[in-house]
Amino acid sequence: MESLALFSLASQQAGWLSTRQATIASNVANANTPGYRAQDVQPFSSVMSHLQLTMASTSSGHIAPDTAASARVNVRPSDSWDVLHSGNSVNLEQEMMKGGEVNRAHALNLNVVRSFHQMLMSAVKS
Amino acid sequence: MAIDPLASSLRLAGAGLQTQSARLRVVAENIANAQSTGTSAGADPYARKTITFESIFNRASGDNLVGIKAIGVDKTPFRVEHMPGNPAADDKGDVKMPNVDLLFEMADMREANRSYEANLQVVKQSRDMINQTIELMRT
Repeated sequence: MESLALFSLASQQAGWLSTRQATIASNVANANTPGYRAQDVQPFSSVMSHLQLTMASTSSGHIAPDTAASARVNVRPSDSWDVLHSGNSVNLEQEMMKGGEVNRAHALNLNVVRSFHQMLMSAVKS
Repeated sequence: MAIDPLASSLRLAGAGLQTQSARLRVVAENIANAQSTGTSAGADPYARKTITFESIFNRASGDNLVGIKAIGVDKTPFRVEHMPGNPAADDKGDVKMPNVDLLFEMADMREANRSYEANLQVVKQSRDMINQTIELMRT
């Protein structure tokens, strides 16, 4: 079922987008904190292509680490638009642009899911 | 996934709003007291307050909340004005005035305002993302 693979892919991307939104929120909240370094998540394509090893659980109480959620990485100073004298590398305009990007991608993702759902439903109902 | 990243982004933006409004409060206090001299002869006037932020790591959700590190006192020397009639004047007729510079306070206020708006924008975007996801269930 290729459509089902699409649903899992879409949910993975939605998870990645919301992690990125949380990272942006953390950057904006710390926009005036001395010494705070701006963070971002790894691009979705690298999350997809990067095969991660899963940890073996020897007891039912073990909680598996979330492999879909990408690790946060510090933004390199060269990628940040400006670095303040206090060591803070958050630029509010840059974060707003990233936020808009995430919002747009999320809307696109949900619309694709919706149209696929409608296609499936029309196949089932007819 | 134990913690919803969208809920944690709302929490982060809330912490940002809280600290920026505390900063605005300190600015308001400084501006209000820009002319507050001491009460007895030669007494020190109002000293300008400063606020510093720090990043607080939340172990439960794994994100960097923001909080107030300290509200301190500006050590800049006071301005001295010659006003012999003032009750706070010393025996030479000099009055110590607060070390508040309105230009600095205005700049600080604008920056706090801008950061506050940015945090509000994050709240709006996160809320939109949550609402869109809920809308998906209606179709």
